[in-house]
Amino acid sequence: MKTLEAKNIHKSYSGHKALNDVSVSVEKGTVYGLLGPNGAGKTSLIRIINQITAPDQGEVWFNGERLQPHHVERIGYLPEERGLYKKMKIGEQCMYLAQLKGMSSAEAKRKLMEWFKRFEIHTWWDKKVEDLSKGMAQKVQFITTVLHEPELLILDEPFSGFDPINADLIRQEMLRLKSEGSTIILSTHDMGSVEELCDEISLINRSQVILEGTVKDVKNRFRTRTFELQFRGYNIDLGIGLGAQFQLLDNRKVDDTSIATIRIPDNKNLNDLLGALLRDLEIVSVHEIVPDMNQIFIEAVSKFNSQQA
Amino acid sequence: MNKIALIIKREYLVRVKKKSFIIMTFLGPLLFTALMVGAVLVATSDSTKHNVLIVDPSGYLIAQEVADYKKNGLERPRFKDSEDLVYEFTTITPTEEDFKNSHHTLWVQIDSVTYGDGMTEFFVKKLPSLGVQDQIQEELESALEQWRVKKFGMDWKTYQSVKQGVTLNLHNIEKPDEGDDLRMRAGVGFGFALVIYMFIFIYGVQVMRGVIEEKTSRVIEVIISSVKPFQLMMGKVIGIGLVGLTQVILWAIFSGVAFTIVAAIMGTTAEVPGTLNGQALAQAGAGGSMSALENNESLSFLLNVPWFQIIFAFIFYFIGGFLLYASLFAAIGAAVDSETDTQQFMPIVTIPLIFGFIVSEFLWQNPEGTMGTVFGIIPLTSPVVMMVKTSMGWNAGNIWQLILSVVLLIATFIGTVWMAGRIYRVGILMYGKKATYKELWKWMWYKG
Repeated sequence: MKTLEAKNIHKSYSGHKALNDVSVSVEKGTVYGLLGPNGAGKTSLIRIINQITAPDQGEVWFNGERLQPHHVERIGYLPEERGLYKKMKIGEQCMYLAQLKGMSSAEAKRKLMEWFKRFEIHTWWDKKVEDLSKGMAQKVQFITTVLHEPELLILDEPFSGFDPINADLIRQEMLRLKSEGSTIILSTHDMGSVEELCDEISLINRSQVILEGTVKDVKNRFRTRTFELQFRGYNIDLGIGLGAQFQLLDNRKVDDTSIATIRIPDNKNLNDLLGALLRDLEIVSVHEIVPDMNQIFIEAVSKFNSQQA
Repeated sequence: MNKIALIIKREYLVRVKKKSFIIMTFLGPLLFTALMVGAVLVATSDSTKHNVLIVDPSGYLIAQEVADYKKNGLERPRFKDSEDLVYEFTTITPTEEDFKNSHHTLWVQIDSVTYGDGMTEFFVKKLPSLGVQDQIQEELESALEQWRVKKFGMDWKTYQSVKQGVTLNLHNIEKPDEGDDLRMRAGVGFGFALVIYMFIFIYGVQVMRGVIEEKTSRVIEVIISSVKPFQLMMGKVIGIGLVGLTQVILWAIFSGVAFTIVAAIMGTTAEVPGTLNGQALAQAGAGGSMSALENNESLSFLLNVPWFQIIFAFIFYFIGGFLLYASLFAAIGAAVDSETDTQQFMPIVTIPLIFGFIVSEFLWQNPEGTMGTVFGIIPLTSPVVMMVKTSMGWNAGNIWQLILSVVLLIATFIGTVWMAGRIYRVGILMYGKKATYKELWKWMWYKG
């Protein structure tokens, strides 16, 4: 079942096209990565999902219904540009934000107490935001985003401003929420967390989706059939073994072994490579070089941009 | 709870609980009362005692002033000593050194020129208050007058009848029951107009600041993912409006109490008609036109003021005017990144407001002028101007002005709130971009 489907969204701001026929579809209970360079249109899309702005064309569906104003109570949004009322007490502020999401005052208070304990910030209730550090304020913001137990969580750069310990705390909370059935849209430039957390991604560049699919799929698509082979033996034997069929990209000495980077052509496979080398070389290890999301991001974007130019 | 109600509650409580609000609510009326009392005290009392030496070498003035007052039909002798003024007369001109060493503090030198054109030399050790100076001047003036009457061989009574002044006894044919009340009632209306004017300004700016604060603290995007920008704007405007209303009502009550206490202490209740109607009337009273009234006259005047109409008009124009201007302030707040950037847009609100204020001041002087009619109907100035007009009363002949004004104000504030809402919803998410009037116009027509 789809928690969210955005179909053929178009949005322009005074002549500038922010979104051009963008469609995303988020499966229930998954973490969906929304990637893309700055200014690509991610925030525009997120604002449309949050009904902060409306699309010029296209439609958004939430749990099989056309998106409606009351759905905001079932969505939690942590914007990239986020803040709190500086002069307000933390507790009052959280109560206010929770009630705006439709929670009753008693329920909000009870849940807040739970979360404050879990994040070990229960002594902050009467503190003012201006007395908190940035990281502390971020914790409070995360709580206010998830407090009403939204079915869909939209987190825009949730880790920015956190130290590694707190970033990990947020990561664990995301996984816990996911395991409890929440669906999460994660927009971030931190490709490490994309690999770690996301099931599916969409890469938006220059207002359109240029890459989408499960993380595994996307990675497969970007495999180049390149392997790293560690061996003992003479380089001349390596050259003879590879012949003209396999392409040697790199070869370097590490202690008493050599590590060669080799690309296998489409009509051969790893067995063919090993078969060709086994006779004269002692193979120590072999593994495929799989591109990480960071490389995929850069490659996809630069390829698209150069095609457009 | 309804979301607008939640926003109103927050905006209201956050401000009402502020120390500055509590302090100002109590201190405002106290300061105001202190100011009034202080002004009265300063004006009426000069605590230093003055020994005035009147030097008249000819001796004319002294001779007759002291002796002839009863014969001339005067109530009291000239130059009668009072608590703070003691007169002494001499025909011998002292030297400056003599004066310095004497117990006299003031010295008036009369000579032949004085008898002709009234010019005297006035020496002081320390500058006396204007009140004291006026008193001495007045005494000298009427003494010389008396001397001249005698010199020209006139009879004092004849002279008095020659000097008789003129009183214009006002009869308004259109409004036969009203005397000169009309202008004073305009004064009362002006007091209310002043309250509306101050209220719109002070609390309108607070709305603008609130919007800017939400923008700069970046809390805005979190909020509008839960509520519509229009709800947020209206909640803010209404919440802050209620804060202002609370303050005005508390001020009226506290001022009333403070005035009553002060008036009781000073024993001059009649001089402070403000006690009856608190803040607004007190301000009209401060204009001075009313404190001169006798006790029963001021009572009948107060009964003549159309209080019901004024209260209703006040509530309507107070709310209508605030909604109109506060939504403009909100739109300005949304269009900028910081308070310093608001300057370019402020004229939109300040010019009509100040203009309305000036018109009502003229209206006070000239209650039935055309300017009042025109600007009482135009919605941007009507909240201030119409208070003055209403205090003068409506009749079948001109009630259409009120109706037209009310209808136009309602229509305009609906239009303005809509327009401001459109600018607001785009502006709050715009950062780091200096908006121009042209852009605001574009924002208004953005879709969605």
